Amino acid sequence: MTGYADFRDFLTTLEKEGQLLRITDQVQLEPDVAAAACALTQLGETSPAIEFDTIAGFTGQRIVMNAHGSWPNHALALGLPKDSTPREQFAAFVERYQNYPGEIERVASAPFQEVVVDKDVNLFEILPLFRLNRGDGAFFIDKACVVSRDFDDWTNDNVENVGCYRLQVKGPRRLGIQAVPQHDIAIHIAHAEARGEDLPIAICLGNDPLMLLMAATPMLYDQLEYKMAAALQGAPYKVVQTEKGLDVPYGSEYILEGRLLAGKREIEGPFGEFPGYYSGCHLYPVIEIDKVSHRKDPIFEQTYVGRPWTELDYLQAMTTSAPIFVLLHETFPEVVAVNAFYTHGLVLIVSTHTRYGGFAKAVGLRVLSTPHGLGYAKVIIVVDADVDPFDLKQVMWAISVKVNPSGDIVIIPNLPENLLDPAGVPNGISSKMIIDATTPVAPDRRGDYGEELDTPEGTGAWRQKLAALIKGLSR
Amino acid sequence: MTAPPALPTACPRCRSATVTTLATSPVAGVWTIFQCTTCLYTWRSSEPVDNTDPEKYPAAFRLGPKSFCDLATIPAVTPKRSPGASGT
Repeated sequence: MTGYADFRDFLTTLEKEGQLLRITDQVQLEPDVAAAACALTQLGETSPAIEFDTIAGFTGQRIVMNAHGSWPNHALALGLPKDSTPREQFAAFVERYQNYPGEIERVASAPFQEVVVDKDVNLFEILPLFRLNRGDGAFFIDKACVVSRDFDDWTNDNVENVGCYRLQVKGPRRLGIQAVPQHDIAIHIAHAEARGEDLPIAICLGNDPLMLLMAATPMLYDQLEYKMAAALQGAPYKVVQTEKGLDVPYGSEYILEGRLLAGKREIEGPFGEFPGYYSGCHLYPVIEIDKVSHRKDPIFEQTYVGRPWTELDYLQAMTTSAPIFVLLHETFPEVVAVNAFYTHGLVLIVSTHTRYGGFAKAVGLRVLSTPHGLGYAKVIIVVDADVDPFDLKQVMWAISVKVNPSGDIVIIPNLPENLLDPAGVPNGISSKMIIDATTPVAPDRRGDYGEELDTPEGTGAWRQKLAALIKGLSR
Repeated sequence: MTAPPALPTACPRCRSATVTTLATSPVAGVWTIFQCTTCLYTWRSSEPVDNTDPEKYPAAFRLGPKSFCDLATIPAVTPKRSPGASGT
């Protein structure tokens, strides 16, 4: 694939593939927009994106939710056929992820420059902002690419950062940002504050679907998300530079430019977060917006976050699994696949060949020492290479017959954990567990494993033949 | 078009009397956005009562004066380097 030119190019494909639903009746910003997006995620794994064309109080504004919120939509975002299985999507994502770096292509102008507002900015009038969950302390922007550079290495493109951080709209031109210490932007904030300078920020809304996935991927500090997007799409990624020198996607619908205020922290939250709980209030950094640029007929894209599964779980599925797999596979080439789909990888499944007794436990320990695993992976299930980690029925079978708790459960106390995990004691610290659900191999001689069942001869051929016949039944 | 709603006298979340108007709908008279300058709670006049009426606001999300104490600062503020110190 060569990637989508922009968000609306993706919407055209979704519509052609029957994966975009347009609501033309007028909707109220609350509670209609979030309620509809939440309901969509309850309707199964093939839900379409949803576009609201008529919004009470606005003229001509459109909102799109759930753009990535199903396996077909996620496949189309990656340029794959919409019926690609999660395992096929994982394989394609990982293969292209390892082509890093691709190239960035800087161009002089972009469609988002059609309308510029740099006086009397009022975000509440420019963007159709709305509340997602009733306990949210305000309206949040939760599907943005936030761009910053490192003051201590300003011209090094590789340490420019594009991240997806929640933004609380606190005033006509004032935002709060959640930037926890594990996030790359926290390094930029620290270096700016050490100089006593405000940090230039660009916030990019409504992007091609790959860019948002890249912003959500926990890649290395010196890996640039635009170069990873180029690697994944197999073509240079087009950007435009702001006056401050920040690269922003050519295809964005809106660009908000401003400054993160040095030394300033202010009450933020709560916000209904990815574990399915509200986050509580904290003192978080503040951004002041100086300029907003947007297309003449901009589309506002948001995601619904609630008790899993929601669109967020699709957004975090491959983007969490792939970086962990790549690091794991470097150490242990025996590792076949990683499924870190569950609540941003709080629970994850690794399938691996086992070279000798105890090997699977070592693989589990390596997960704990990856950068993402360190702050998230809490329950790690390791299964044999012939168990598909993306098929929970197979994983449960492996746990059923290959686990003897006295020898297969490893619990390590007091490891770092994400602050948003409500089970931490104290918050930010948790014990972690490895479940070795692989078949014991020598010199581990536990259990009495005889011959494992295989399938009757010809099953594979029959499967292909029957699948075609079954497809014919529905025609 | 209806008359704009009156400025609320109390914040639904912390009940402070520090409510201000942030914005009005681009199509006049449809809604108004209010904010409490004490706790920064923000709401739209057209939202369900759970979010607009101090009496109906869910108890679990209310904030009292004690809630503002001991909030964690994340990330911690980095002290400014003294003049002359070299940046790395």
